[in-house]
Amino acid sequence: MTVVNTTFHSPLIQPGYRLFDGPLCDVADVTAEQVGVVGMPSDWTHSSRLGTRFGPDALRRATTLLQSMRPTGASFDPDTDCLSMPANNWLVDCGDATITANDVDATTQAIAAMTEALTIAGAIPLALGGDHYNSFPACLGYSRGLAKRAPKARFGYIQVDGHLDFSDRLGAWGSHNHATNARRISELPNIDVRNMVWVGIAGWVDGGDLASIEEQGGLVFSANDVHEKGTEEIMRQALEHAMQGCDELYLSIDIDAMDAGYLPGTGSIVHSGITPRQYYDLLDGLAEAPLGGLDIVEVSPPLDPSERTEFLAAEMLFRILRRFRTRPVSETEAGR
Amino acid sequence: MPLRSAPLPRMAGHLSYMRSQTKAISHVGPGDLAVLGIPFEDTSAPYAGQSLAPRALRETSVYFGWHANPQFSHPVDIDARQDIQTDGLHERLCDLGDLSKGTDDANHAALKEAIQQISGNGACAVILGGSDHLAKTVQNALPDCQTAQLGGIARGAQDFYMAPLMNTTPGNAMLSNAQRSDARLSNGKLSNAKLSRDRALSCNSNIAAQLVELSQWRDTSKPLFVRFDLSVFETSLSALCDQPRLDGCDLDTVTQWLSALGQFEVSAIMLTGLNPSRPGMGVVKVGQRLMVTALLSFIYAQLGFGIDHSSKQTSKENASI
Repeated sequence: MTVVNTTFHSPLIQPGYRLFDGPLCDVADVTAEQVGVVGMPSDWTHSSRLGTRFGPDALRRATTLLQSMRPTGASFDPDTDCLSMPANNWLVDCGDATITANDVDATTQAIAAMTEALTIAGAIPLALGGDHYNSFPACLGYSRGLAKRAPKARFGYIQVDGHLDFSDRLGAWGSHNHATNARRISELPNIDVRNMVWVGIAGWVDGGDLASIEEQGGLVFSANDVHEKGTEEIMRQALEHAMQGCDELYLSIDIDAMDAGYLPGTGSIVHSGITPRQYYDLLDGLAEAPLGGLDIVEVSPPLDPSERTEFLAAEMLFRILRRFRTRPVSETEAGR
Repeated sequence: MPLRSAPLPRMAGHLSYMRSQTKAISHVGPGDLAVLGIPFEDTSAPYAGQSLAPRALRETSVYFGWHANPQFSHPVDIDARQDIQTDGLHERLCDLGDLSKGTDDANHAALKEAIQQISGNGACAVILGGSDHLAKTVQNALPDCQTAQLGGIARGAQDFYMAPLMNTTPGNAMLSNAQRSDARLSNGKLSNAKLSRDRALSCNSNIAAQLVELSQWRDTSKPLFVRFDLSVFETSLSALCDQPRLDGCDLDTVTQWLSALGQFEVSAIMLTGLNPSRPGMGVVKVGQRLMVTALLSFIYAQLGFGIDHSSKQTSKENASI
């Protein structure tokens, strides 16, 4: 006689990590003022060291672990006199975009479709790379969404990066890769190079690319500028320049601006780059900026078995999202 | 239509330094920079792996091969805001490959012969090590040469050290008998060994004064040999060397020194101390990248592409805000 086992098994829900341990949410259900997370697990458009396709997952894990160390209402930030809040309403994770290997166009459109929908809804798309090329489709969708939500609006652009990424083409990789993303963004209809700023550039860069940026009115701060002038002044100038005549800001955070001695888990390392403290201070300088969209890219976990790269990057997200994830201490709490 | 219509990148082909041309040693000419690998193990080193250094350095150098790629514009030093014209780089930079492995005696003999031949042709040998135990052989190949040293262990009192000595104290606690002897020989005057210890605490400061000191030390009638050891760098920046240094220099300082040394006529520069098999701080081998990046300033200076840091300009936009 056959015994039928009818024991009920509840379905597995939400396997894996979400950014900041936030809830999963379909792109169509995201509401205005929320931060909508889009994963871009693609490194097909990187020319050398790969591994950033594991970046979104690593960022989700690292932010969740850091979040768990900052429980609701119990984590006090002495820099701002604020308490942390859980990511249960201000941030939702929309999962990953569909990545199509060896088809950059399909991948581009898939990412852009998600960030466009989020932008139209009035949410802030937060895209997790992936190599830096993926910043372009993320910004492309944001640009399209902004054009539909506010047709006359324009956006400024700040890229914290060790490299310009302003090449028109890169050898065999063609026109769409991790060295051309900023150039492609500059060609979008609702942005002008005059409102584009680079911060943290290190070492040698292509002279033609640099000249092209500066001739068109773009602004470039080297890592040395950050060392010499200080983070607060640099970001003040950067924000002022980027926002001239603009309504919103798109921020691209390439973690490789940080010196490789601190952060080796990325594809294109730099030396004499900015330090973790400087990087965090730069992002603190943008915490109150009118962010319309942002991305963080080039986290490559396989290149750093120590895992500290993803935690450094997670802390960057904590910094830039400060105004969403913290609230001031109430008088009652302060009086305890 | 796919956006990437070009073929996938090519990584095959001869692995030469910065994708430079390969040459037979007999074809090296005056003014050339001739790269030569010495892939030998130092059996007295605490860890094996120095023989892998020449290949590691070449692999990393490929990153800078684009400097002479006609597809790109000229490189610019973003800090100095100065163009670097690299015309002729690949005519004068060449790679001779590695010395063949043999017995210890044969290795020394082959290296000595190669250095004599390169130097005799009026070229500068760029020796990719590894272990520094062959440095004495290079010195022997260059009679009466002066040695300028960045990092590593002190060898001679007449050498010029641009970085603090390895874990030494003013009492010479860590110096070998030979080094103590050198120090005694120079008793009665301010020896360079003494100077080096004075500099131990000023690795990152007052470089201009130290460069003046270098000019005074340099005797242009003698060949110049430059030793460039990974341990010149602050260890927390690389962690790849067998002899860690916790008060070393940053990249910018080392670059300035190599750029200054590159202004002289140099017979040989030897890279040592890199052990790519050491775990370092990640899969990305930061140590070899530091060395290759710093060496680039030497190569540019030797070829006349030097960077004038004093003429630093700021972005027009930067200045206007």
